[in-house]
Amino acid sequence: MTAAFPYLSLIMLAPAVGMVIILFLPHDSKRAVRWVSLISAAVSLLTTLYVWQAYDRAAGGLQFVERTLWVKSLGIYYYLGVDGINLPLVLLTSIVLFTGVWTMWDLQHRVKEFFALMLLMVVGVYGVFMALDLFFLFVFYDVSLFPMYPLIAIWGSTRKEYGALKLTLYLLAGSALVLPGILYIYFKSGLFTFDLVMLSKAGLDPDVQYLGFFLFLFGFGVLAGLWPFHTWSPVGHVAAPTAVSMIHAGVLMKLGAYGVLRVGMYLCPQGLVEWSPLFAILATVGIVYGAFVGLAQTDLKYVIGYSSVSHMGLVSLGLATMTLGGVSGAVFQMFAHGIMTALLFSSVGHIYDSTHTKMIPELGGMAKVEPRASFFFILAALAGIGVPCLASFWAELLVFINGFKVYPVLGALAISGLVVSALFMLRVVQKTFYGPKNEKYAECADMRLAMIWPRAILAGTILLFGLLPRLMLDTINVGVAPLVELFK
Amino acid sequence: MAAKLYMFLPETAYLLMALVLFLLSLPKQQPKGRVYVWALGLSILGVAAATAGLTSHGLIFFQAYRVDLYSQLFKLILSVAMFLVVTICWPLTGVERRYKPEFFLFLTTCTLGMMFMVSAVEMMTLYLSLELSSFSLYILVPLRSGDNIDVEAGVKYLFIGITASCVMLFGISYIYGATHSTYLTDIIKKLPLWIHQPAAAIGLLLTLSGFFFKLAVFPFHFWAPDVYQGAANQVTTYIATVSKAAAVALLIRLTSLTGGTSLYLSYVLIVLCVISMSLGNLVAIVQKDLKRMLAYSTIAHAGYVLMGILTMNELGYSSAVFYTVAYMIMNFAAFMVVVRVAGQGQDLKIADLAGLHRRSPLLALTLMMALFSLAGIPPTVGFTGKFLVFAAAMQQGHFWLVLVGMINATISLYYYLMVIKAAYLTEPAEPAPALVIGAPTRLLNYLLIVVMTYLGVFPQQVMTLAENAVKQLIGGS
Repeated sequence: MTAAFPYLSLIMLAPAVGMVIILFLPHDSKRAVRWVSLISAAVSLLTTLYVWQAYDRAAGGLQFVERTLWVKSLGIYYYLGVDGINLPLVLLTSIVLFTGVWTMWDLQHRVKEFFALMLLMVVGVYGVFMALDLFFLFVFYDVSLFPMYPLIAIWGSTRKEYGALKLTLYLLAGSALVLPGILYIYFKSGLFTFDLVMLSKAGLDPDVQYLGFFLFLFGFGVLAGLWPFHTWSPVGHVAAPTAVSMIHAGVLMKLGAYGVLRVGMYLCPQGLVEWSPLFAILATVGIVYGAFVGLAQTDLKYVIGYSSVSHMGLVSLGLATMTLGGVSGAVFQMFAHGIMTALLFSSVGHIYDSTHTKMIPELGGMAKVEPRASFFFILAALAGIGVPCLASFWAELLVFINGFKVYPVLGALAISGLVVSALFMLRVVQKTFYGPKNEKYAECADMRLAMIWPRAILAGTILLFGLLPRLMLDTINVGVAPLVELFK
Repeated sequence: MAAKLYMFLPETAYLLMALVLFLLSLPKQQPKGRVYVWALGLSILGVAAATAGLTSHGLIFFQAYRVDLYSQLFKLILSVAMFLVVTICWPLTGVERRYKPEFFLFLTTCTLGMMFMVSAVEMMTLYLSLELSSFSLYILVPLRSGDNIDVEAGVKYLFIGITASCVMLFGISYIYGATHSTYLTDIIKKLPLWIHQPAAAIGLLLTLSGFFFKLAVFPFHFWAPDVYQGAANQVTTYIATVSKAAAVALLIRLTSLTGGTSLYLSYVLIVLCVISMSLGNLVAIVQKDLKRMLAYSTIAHAGYVLMGILTMNELGYSSAVFYTVAYMIMNFAAFMVVVRVAGQGQDLKIADLAGLHRRSPLLALTLMMALFSLAGIPPTVGFTGKFLVFAAAMQQGHFWLVLVGMINATISLYYYLMVIKAAYLTEPAEPAPALVIGAPTRLLNYLLIVVMTYLGVFPQQVMTLAENAVKQLIGGS
């Protein structure tokens, strides 16, 4: 089904146009830069909402497809489309981008460059989620990664240059595995096309799938925070400025998991079958390891960083189950975790901006000083623990049930990891927001009313999909069901 | 006769240019800027002539000189690169004033030699053209005013260059022995039969050495760091762009003589490719001088180009041509920034870039784009070039080679990021004045940024041109 109007291109190119406009604005017009960013993010968000609502769930499959020949001699197509798997992730990106721009409204330092780079990064993110051509997927993948370096190194905090460099090198080392993988599949299929859909029907040789999946698993897995290649992630999160942490932990890490899913599992289902035990073990180690290391942290951002490692482990475990429930749960978890982490970083961002510290022992009683920021942090923390009626609950439940079914031992371990992570999250909440107040920060200002809105949007999303999980799951299942058939 | 002269159009333009510059070099006192205006004008004429001659084809000079799309495409590349280099030669810092006419004269003869070279299809013609360009460079490299390092660089370049030439002549003698001809048209008929013999393969390999030297492929790379650092910045730019394009043209032409059958040769090329990439990238990490670092990165890039060539098929050759175009543009962009930032023509340490984003945001942006392009980050032309050569190598089943190439690309990212960090993040120890750049330089910067992105996103046209050129090369000779 080809789209009459290129909605998907509009979603993707709105930030690109915003970026180009910003580049031509004079250096001191901070206000104009912010408005241009916000408006382009809003265009993307509104278009995404339209696509979300107009997607025909009964028909399923790829919709809003755009396909144009790009380089004839290599069979490269500009090919976009959405199905039940990437639609939620596009929605996630739009929400996080919009709220992220809004959260950074008060930025004063090199405003123009910041928003230009942030929009560029998001163009890449949209591209990866929507591209169905491996060449473009890879191009967008790298486009989404390299702006991270300046974004963290210029506007970041704790050990920013180290964090930025480590992150960039790790992620690009990951993509160094992905590109050979893509070319390998391209030539082994004998089809001379980078078209993902056609390649998935090529019926690749099991040996090819075996090596192919290995490359994609570890190539994309670095970005998904797969243990033991996760070490860039907490360091990078801590160093990054608020909105970048939001996009980075909220959306960018999902690119990795999405890559494993869309490229690895789609093209090499037999490869996954072979590698699934290793994949599940690494995922479970990540879940438990992230939870225990999180327990020992004293920096709020490190806590969130390690909880991300743990939660992304859940996504991987869900994918490794190869069942409808497990994979759907994993996709749902990507969405839910994205929104939740964005809210966490957004709240911490405010606390850090007002108190200039994010060390847990120095804070305390923040609920009295900054009730609004505290409310949002606690809500997101509860979502992370998996409290019912919040979006993550359903996602985690699905992953655990199926994980337990397929890998009883690993499933049990993963659940114990969840208990530990609940423990450390509650401990953080208790120490930071309750208990004796640190008088030094008693005078710190709470969020302005206007700055509540972006957080409220995120919190609202968590509640909406927590109360009505079918709204999300019906869409996801439409996309996952045909995929799961490949593993039989 | 007129048709034959028309075929010789780009070369005629350059001969004219050399003649004019020679006449200009005769008087003792020069009005300021006159030579530059002539050089600029004539190099534009050169580009125009090369564009006009793009589609002509035929054989002249007793079948020793072949004009086809392949040679004409490279002549166009050479003349455009030459024009770009001339644009950054005002003011000509780092070269003594009284040598200015000679400077432009030898740039011209060097380019002329390379133009002969890409068309030559007879070994002796080829050798003579190569020497014409090499000797011009032997003079250009020590043509630097100021410090003592230039003499060493010049001597080193001369000695290694002459050694490479000797090795090449020796190789030609082997090929002559095997095929009893110096005409490439004869050689290509006989060589594939002989190529499995060690003597023929070694002969070809030794012949290639002359161009390995130009391209700075291991083990002929030793001159690169010293010469890059020791020559005037403009000369370095020339060596890093124009000279490389000609070398790639000839490497492809000579490798295609095997008819794509020589496993023997391709193994040797794989080894050279891997060592060049890895050595260049690893040593580049520890460099403090920007030009030296770029010299090592050149060695690494020579490895990437070889990866396209060693596949010995059409896709590989045309992707190597594409990569050459990409490399010329991005390397020129990087060196242009070097020339502009080093206002007195001095060597530039990486640390000297500190605060560049404040001193000149545009130059900093161009530098960042060029370096990201060199590192192979999309959507720049450097990425597309790498993608194409990697695809060609993978098509021939060189999975491990591609993997090594990608790992190398990641390593290279580290030192490029260090330069970007210096330009964007570090503040200078003492406040440096803003860099004032004129409107033409601004325009050049914008143009380079646009071209680097445009060709990265829309490679189709250049790729088609390269494919057609390579088809004529393989089908015609």
